[in-house]
Amino acid sequence: MKGIERNNRASSEPLDTDTIRLAQGNGGILTKKLINDVFKNTANKELDLLHDAASVTFAGPFLSMTTDSFVVSPYTFPGGNVGALSIYGTVNDLAVVGATPRYISTAFIIEEGFSMTALKEVVHKMHQAAVETNVAIITGDTKVVPKGFGGGVYINTTGVGDSQDTPIWDTSLIRPGDHVLVSGSVGDHGACVLLAREDYGLHGQLKSDCASVFPLVNAIRDLNGVRFVRDPTRGGLSVLLHDVATETGFNIELIENNIPVRPEVASVCDILGFDPFVLACEGRVIAIVSPDISSEVLTHWRGIKNGENAQHIGVISKNTDLKGRVSIITPMGGRRFMSELEDEPLPRIC
Amino acid sequence: MYSVESLLDLIKKTPLTKPLRILNVCGGHERAITRAGFRTLFQHNIHLIPGPGCPVCICPEEDIAFAIHLALNENVVIASFGDMLRVPIDCAIDGCDSLIAAKNSGADVRPISSVQEAVSIAIGEPEKAVVFFAVGFETTMAPVAAALLADLPNNLKVLLSGRLTWPAVAHVLRSQKDTFDALIAPGHVATIMGCEEWQFVIDHHDLPVSISGFHPESLLLSIHALIKNCSSRVITLNNSYPEVVKHHGNSAAKTLLKTAFTQVDAHWRGIGVIPRSGFSLAAKLSHLDVTNHYEPIDSSSRIIQTGLKTPPSCEQVILGQMAPDGCPFFGKECIPASPKGACMVSDEGACRIWYSTGERSVIEVIEKGNTQKVEIKS
Repeated sequence: MKGIERNNRASSEPLDTDTIRLAQGNGGILTKKLINDVFKNTANKELDLLHDAASVTFAGPFLSMTTDSFVVSPYTFPGGNVGALSIYGTVNDLAVVGATPRYISTAFIIEEGFSMTALKEVVHKMHQAAVETNVAIITGDTKVVPKGFGGGVYINTTGVGDSQDTPIWDTSLIRPGDHVLVSGSVGDHGACVLLAREDYGLHGQLKSDCASVFPLVNAIRDLNGVRFVRDPTRGGLSVLLHDVATETGFNIELIENNIPVRPEVASVCDILGFDPFVLACEGRVIAIVSPDISSEVLTHWRGIKNGENAQHIGVISKNTDLKGRVSIITPMGGRRFMSELEDEPLPRIC
Repeated sequence: MYSVESLLDLIKKTPLTKPLRILNVCGGHERAITRAGFRTLFQHNIHLIPGPGCPVCICPEEDIAFAIHLALNENVVIASFGDMLRVPIDCAIDGCDSLIAAKNSGADVRPISSVQEAVSIAIGEPEKAVVFFAVGFETTMAPVAAALLADLPNNLKVLLSGRLTWPAVAHVLRSQKDTFDALIAPGHVATIMGCEEWQFVIDHHDLPVSISGFHPESLLLSIHALIKNCSSRVITLNNSYPEVVKHHGNSAAKTLLKTAFTQVDAHWRGIGVIPRSGFSLAAKLSHLDVTNHYEPIDSSSRIIQTGLKTPPSCEQVILGQMAPDGCPFFGKECIPASPKGACMVSDEGACRIWYSTGERSVIEVIEKGNTQKVEIKS
């Protein structure tokens, strides 16, 4: 036809039955089949009703709401996959503002050619994580994009939770002398995904820490003296603490010896030249608390799964010369600043 | 054996009649010194000066330009050590002034951490031409030599930019007489080449040397040995890394280097040409040399000067003449996200290390006596 050229579309290539096809995202028969085969009976009755919107009960009195997108590459890694991560990540964002996570919506963007078996595994882990964290996935959407326009599978979520109050913790509550606590080792998820993504010829026992932090936060929610709680995700401990230092204008002083880093994470960082303090966590909490309740928080955490290695890692300092900076007392007793995350880590020569 | 505490105590208490200027020539040492906060621990008249020891920082622009050109215009896979990817050059090849820029515009540039990964890429993708951008000092070049002397897939070629450490140190010491009082020599290079290679510092420059490992404890031992040397005016070659460094080095690795490479005059970024300081492929490996397979860059049509000339202060930093934060661009126009000079790129580059750990600022605060003691019970 004049002015029209025929393209060889990727989707016209023969595909095996284990491969997601573009037509499975067009809303027609194949989409329905995909939903029935993969998503139905994996969440709850609200989702299975297949209505355009879900209607649910709500305890309140306040509602906390968060949204996030999960694009981790590779989609699966030791200790989890993008499905599990999407639930834990959403639950954690609600937990750290003091809310009780209740409902989650999900939107899948799947790249044409992605494996059906892999998709089922992602959904399975997602379901497991939702059951474990006591949240209901109540509405969802599925789109398929042409090959080359996506990275396998992306998941967007929105989560809502019940709150007794507007966010109860805030950086404005932080005072000099407060203690900085971490619920466990840092950098596990980041180091694990880096090794899973690139073939650096290194193998070991690295495992992502991806998990719900709700039990950790819930254990300290009613204590007087908790100032600020957050989960260190992208950019790890460094980005979170630099944000706090910048927002409050205080200096944060850390004791390097007290910051828990798993030996295998430390080894990877040593070999490739990465800084564990900028690597992501997906199941840890940082709490800044009044010194009076510091030991109590640690005792609570150390009695809970994933809180066994909780540590007091530093203090909010009165030092006005280092306003807004995060400084470290090194194992030798020297001082330096914590490095800020500048760009994607790349392995060094030697 | 000394404990860390006793070494720190000895270093602090040893009387010095004049400032002691200790040059370290390895980016790994500078990183360890800064991360341990040594400059905040010692007397103010012990100066630890970073020198020319980062292979990324001294890799000449023409080699990076050729790698960018190959990646963009010759349809090859460039396998490069990760920290080479962001190194900027003063000219842009088809709009790209770094390997990461070439990668972002669609070229196939892959960050790797060892020569074996480059070999694996070539074996796994036999339909593609793969070029390994071999940058590094003796420590990196020894395993490269072993790989090149083994059976390699036909689709793998090498862009060689390997350098020897000691000729650059000799150049720095020769060109700056009476600037330094002692030298910390790189333990990984000495593991290959042996302690004996550093004897020239004593014989020709009358300076004490200590070969050091990369943990703070080994560096403390070295600094202590050098202070003792300087205060007692006895000049010796100290080995503070005896668990891995031997007097004659690793003879198998030295043989590999001699078999695979010849020594040639070579260009160092920020320094210039240093006699017999570079590795070149031996004649029997010339079939691996990428320059024998691809035409040089067509300079008339593709190179555009970016106007962002490398600051002259880069050279002074590399030569140990200027502290990183003495450069007028440091932390201003030149930051890790948009480096003007190579030293701000690599994790082993002095400027990048100082910038990311706020090295000078900490010292200033301590000099003002404003730091607070913090005690934490775990």
